[in-house]
Amino acid sequence: MSTLLEVSGVCVTFDGFRAINNLSIQIAEPELRAVIGPNGAGKTTFMDIVTGKTRPDEGRVTWGEKNISLLGMSESAIAREGIGRKFQKPTVFEEQTVRENLAMALRNKRGPLDVLLYRGTRQEAARITELAREIGLADHLPRRAGDLSHGQKQWLEIGMLLAQDPRLLLVDEPAAGMTPAEREHTTDILRRAAETRAVVVIEHDMEFVRRLGCKVTVLHEGAVLAEGSLDHVTQNRQVIDVYLGR
Amino acid sequence: MGNPDITPRQSFLARTPSVLWFLGLLGLFTLGVTVLAEGFGMALLSTSMVKILGMTLCLCLIAVAMDVVWGYCGILSLGHFAFFGLGGYAIGMWLMYARTEGIVIESLANAPIPPTQEEITNAIATQIFGVVGSNELPALWTFADSLAMQLLFVVLVPGLLALVFGWLAFRSRVTGVYLSILTQAMTLALSLYLFQNDTGLRGNNGLSGLQNIPGLLHLPQSTIALWFFWASAAALGAGYLFFAWLVSGKFGSVIRGIRDNEARVRFLGYHVESYKLVVFTLTAVISGLAGALYYPQAGIINPAEIAPIASIYLAVWVAIGGRGRLYGAVIGAALVSLASSWFTGGGAPDVNLGFYTINWTDWWLVLLGLGFVAVTLFFPRGIGGLFDLLVRKP
Amino acid sequence: MRLTALLSRAVTMPVILAWLLFLPPDEAGAQPALQPLLQEHQAELARPSRSTIGPVIAALLASDHPGITDFLRKWEAREVYLRPEDGLFFYAEKTGSRLRLIDIDSGAAVAEPGSREIEQIRPNAGVRREVAAALVPFELNAADPARRAAALDAIARSAEASQIAPLRESIGTETDPALKIRKERLLTLLTAQFAPTRSERLDAIAGLAGDISIEARGVLNQLTATRDGVAAALPAGANIARVLEPGTDLTEAQAHDRLVAAGLAPPRQTAADLRDVLAQHIVEGAVGGVPLHRLNTTAERIRAYEALERAGTVPPRAAPDEMARAVAAHVFYTEYLQPDPRITQAAEDALAATTRTLGLYQVADLVLDGLSLASIFFLAAIGLAITFGVMGVINMAHGEFIMMGAYTGYVVQLFIPDYTISLLIALPLAFVVTFGAGVAMERLVIRHLYTRPLETLLATFGISIALQQLAKNVFGTQARPLTAPDWLSGALTLNDIVGISTIRVAIFVLALIFLALLLFILRRTRLGLEVRAVTQNPGMAASMGINPDRINMLTFGLGSGIAGIAGVAIGLYAQVTSEMGANYIVQSFMTVVVGGVGNVWGTLAGASLIGFLQKGIEWFNPSNTLAAQTYMILFIILFIQFRPKGIVALKGRAAGD
Repeated sequence: MSTLLEVSGVCVTFDGFRAINNLSIQIAEPELRAVIGPNGAGKTTFMDIVTGKTRPDEGRVTWGEKNISLLGMSESAIAREGIGRKFQKPTVFEEQTVRENLAMALRNKRGPLDVLLYRGTRQEAARITELAREIGLADHLPRRAGDLSHGQKQWLEIGMLLAQDPRLLLVDEPAAGMTPAEREHTTDILRRAAETRAVVVIEHDMEFVRRLGCKVTVLHEGAVLAEGSLDHVTQNRQVIDVYLGR
Repeated sequence: MGNPDITPRQSFLARTPSVLWFLGLLGLFTLGVTVLAEGFGMALLSTSMVKILGMTLCLCLIAVAMDVVWGYCGILSLGHFAFFGLGGYAIGMWLMYARTEGIVIESLANAPIPPTQEEITNAIATQIFGVVGSNELPALWTFADSLAMQLLFVVLVPGLLALVFGWLAFRSRVTGVYLSILTQAMTLALSLYLFQNDTGLRGNNGLSGLQNIPGLLHLPQSTIALWFFWASAAALGAGYLFFAWLVSGKFGSVIRGIRDNEARVRFLGYHVESYKLVVFTLTAVISGLAGALYYPQAGIINPAEIAPIASIYLAVWVAIGGRGRLYGAVIGAALVSLASSWFTGGGAPDVNLGFYTINWTDWWLVLLGLGFVAVTLFFPRGIGGLFDLLVRKP
Repeated sequence: MRLTALLSRAVTMPVILAWLLFLPPDEAGAQPALQPLLQEHQAELARPSRSTIGPVIAALLASDHPGITDFLRKWEAREVYLRPEDGLFFYAEKTGSRLRLIDIDSGAAVAEPGSREIEQIRPNAGVRREVAAALVPFELNAADPARRAAALDAIARSAEASQIAPLRESIGTETDPALKIRKERLLTLLTAQFAPTRSERLDAIAGLAGDISIEARGVLNQLTATRDGVAAALPAGANIARVLEPGTDLTEAQAHDRLVAAGLAPPRQTAADLRDVLAQHIVEGAVGGVPLHRLNTTAERIRAYEALERAGTVPPRAAPDEMARAVAAHVFYTEYLQPDPRITQAAEDALAATTRTLGLYQVADLVLDGLSLASIFFLAAIGLAITFGVMGVINMAHGEFIMMGAYTGYVVQLFIPDYTISLLIALPLAFVVTFGAGVAMERLVIRHLYTRPLETLLATFGISIALQQLAKNVFGTQARPLTAPDWLSGALTLNDIVGISTIRVAIFVLALIFLALLLFILRRTRLGLEVRAVTQNPGMAASMGINPDRINMLTFGLGSGIAGIAGVAIGLYAQVTSEMGANYIVQSFMTVVVGGVGNVWGTLAGASLIGFLQKGIEWFNPSNTLAAQTYMILFIILFIQFRPKGIVALKGRAAGD
């Protein structure tokens, strides 16, 4: 296990409000990690910083074996480095088919000219079919993504993440609004993905986190409050005070 | 959007049969007009009518470009008519220069001593710019004697302007309504600039006499009108084919993604700004070409053509025709611009209400404006949306 | 005419004799009568002409007769009549339709004449000016202050050295303080120009430094006036302003043109001259042996000319370096008309000081102009800022609401002729009309498009063209007047440079009132609180019992209502046409965008930036407001690159994406 992503000493201020306060997290590869914390703890902002959406006031974010700094890179460049992100609300391209959604995400050259002259290969078609099977949408490839159920959209989005073939997946509340059966499926997908890559899951639902069975980081007021196995952190006094006890 | 069941390896024409339909209909229309035209066939269509139809085809072409940039890529540009006008100005300069050169040489032919090149140039400058009180050829007109160079400018000037403007605007992530206002400001600045007398393009006089094509003066206007009509039809066909190909594949998928959720596309690793810039610039170039075909048929171009309102009308056509489908843009542009010339040209009969007579030259804009509100409110998919109802009904 | 003149002259001589002979002795002793004096110049006074009247007036005034100025004044005012039968002059008084003649010396009424028996003397404008100028020294001490002021005006119009003395004398006895100041200033001006000694003039000129009045600047400019000169060597004794270097200060061609104009060099042969000369020497299809068809280049034409030159048919062409040599052999300079270098130097110094002061005042004037333009933009844009900023709705018909307000004002004036009352009614009525229109538009159209902002833009554009055309159909295409009441139609002027029309001051005040009012509404009232709540979180606001529908409706109405009032204000100084709103809409949008959305202060900042910028650019290039607007828009496009969220930008999560 080598360190893939290292966030250290990062601070972010919005209009005087400290959203992130000296945050330091390390993610290894492969690893499955859950990030929990109360509302406003800075979970989503943490993802914003890693993916380049928000620029921190201070601190470092380094990536990969060569310790490249991600600060100052554009969102798309960071994505091409191998960081995929799934948003809290399912954001798939509803006007397009499941196949088109997956094809767009498929790891490939991203330049406008490359895309313009792109012609799909048999291998890629096969890869899309395989991905669809993995996320349970094999029968839905020609359907409009907007016509899918809420859970299916979440899976499609995870499928798009996988299609990008990233080294690090950032997944924001994947199980929100899912039926128990759907949750089960989602857990399987994430656990399988984490066998070969780093996966960071933000989640509120303790049951879901328990099922993931991984290392847990608790955020509070923009900083790490506790880290370790779920059982370890749930016995932490401070964690109980700020989060579980309520 | 085509039939999704087909694998991606099929050619785009097979995936998008509407293109073939469109090209077929366009061909039939061209044939029909040719047969009926004064210059070639049965003379049932007057030359001015052929010109209006040819001009309408050019408007359809820019509407298709507008649909790609707005309907597909989500950039509501209120500046594409500026590119159209620039294309017209670029070709107009050559038309006006070459024609004036012919007149000047003819008038100097009887002079006792043949004129020098300098004398010819000075006489041309006086002819063209006397109206704005100048007798020198501005530097802008350095290449006006060369058709090849001016044709290059038809592509280059709108393309470069779009490239620079787009780069600035997209780079700083100006989006949505802000971007629309910024493009509108660009158009306004350009038209105000052209309205000045000392900018070398004859101020509010504009360029005129563009219907006289140098070298073809021996041909009757009826023939030339038909030639331009054919050229316009060919350009529309080619432009439609090109854009249909552009939006049908993965590129189309990406730009539609940008339209629906720009941030998501960015997190997939696509450099959104480059895509927008490519679409903005390509459509600007096609708009310039459409303008270069339009104004020789219109005969005159002046800065009022570039006023912001023209670009808004362009958006109106596309919205009425139906965004996100290329044939929708063609329907909208053709329908509204032809209806507009029918109503304002006095073609529509007055409506007598007893207490008040509705004169359509006065009331057409009211009708258009309110009709436009109605389309936006009740048929957001435009006229093209009605086709969906026909096709999708079991 | 000429015959009558001869006749009257023939009659005059005996009449004068008769007067001299039959003069009543007692009157002659106390005070010499005026009539004989006048009769000496009878012909010139009866048929005055500008060329001959000067010496006559001088002679009359030299007589020092106490009644002479009174006579001249009346004569100038066409109140003197001539009786042709004996050539005598009379004053006349009009009673009803009849004239009553009055004897010039005794003041007694003379028998009423028939209209044929007398003729009015009508000096023309030139003559009257001469008379007025001659009377100035007398008028300066007149009892009536208005007449003294008129005399000062006359001096200012045509200054002369002879006026210095009477002016100086009259200052001592002047009782009106304002007139006294004016007299003193005028004296300085006259002294600077005409005083006999140099030191007096230098003092006076120094006193003019920094005086920005047009009169003072005129005097200084006159003192420093120059003419261009060229000579083989700098003329000795001339007051040289500047020596010009050909090639840097003026081009060689310009220098040569001056030589030609001064007759110091033969004119250059232009291309047209060359062609014309050749055309005169065509022999059998060739000129100088060069066939005609080859004469289409300058080189061949010169070859042909040289051939003619060798044959001796034309004068020799100037050698190529002849122009350069001629220019090099002369000096080019500008020379002061005023011969005394110390005077011109002092005048230049004074002028420089004046220019500095002038610059300061011009900056002040520019600031006023910018302020007034900024208030107009603010008024036009603030309603938009509310609808666009607070609700995120873009209203392309905003300009038409401005127009609607202006037409409301026009209609009110049709019914109420008193401009003050009609304005007081028009302002609230315009608010009510456009408030209603705005609410109707929000209810009928915009409400359904809140999730589709770009389509709001297009739908409101549809409304905009419909309203514009509707206004055209109702009110016609020509501009309608919206007249300001008298108390608004003047101007506040500080001096010749700094001034602002009252109407613009009123617009500025109106803008301030709206700024205060809006800040009050948004910060201190329940409505403002609710508006802010809905802006920040509509869902939460709704759950707390605020009806977002109602708030949106009221906000939109408020924004539109303000546009209506702005329309009345703009209509007062610009013309009311159906297109007036369209002229403001793009600027208004830019004001909002540049200022930063959703913030009254932002709009103020945007309006100020755009207003001052436009005036500033116009200042650099005053002849071309189109160019100023072009550059301003380019600046705004660039500005938005660097501050995409405007001057007053909201930061962080609240700003959204």
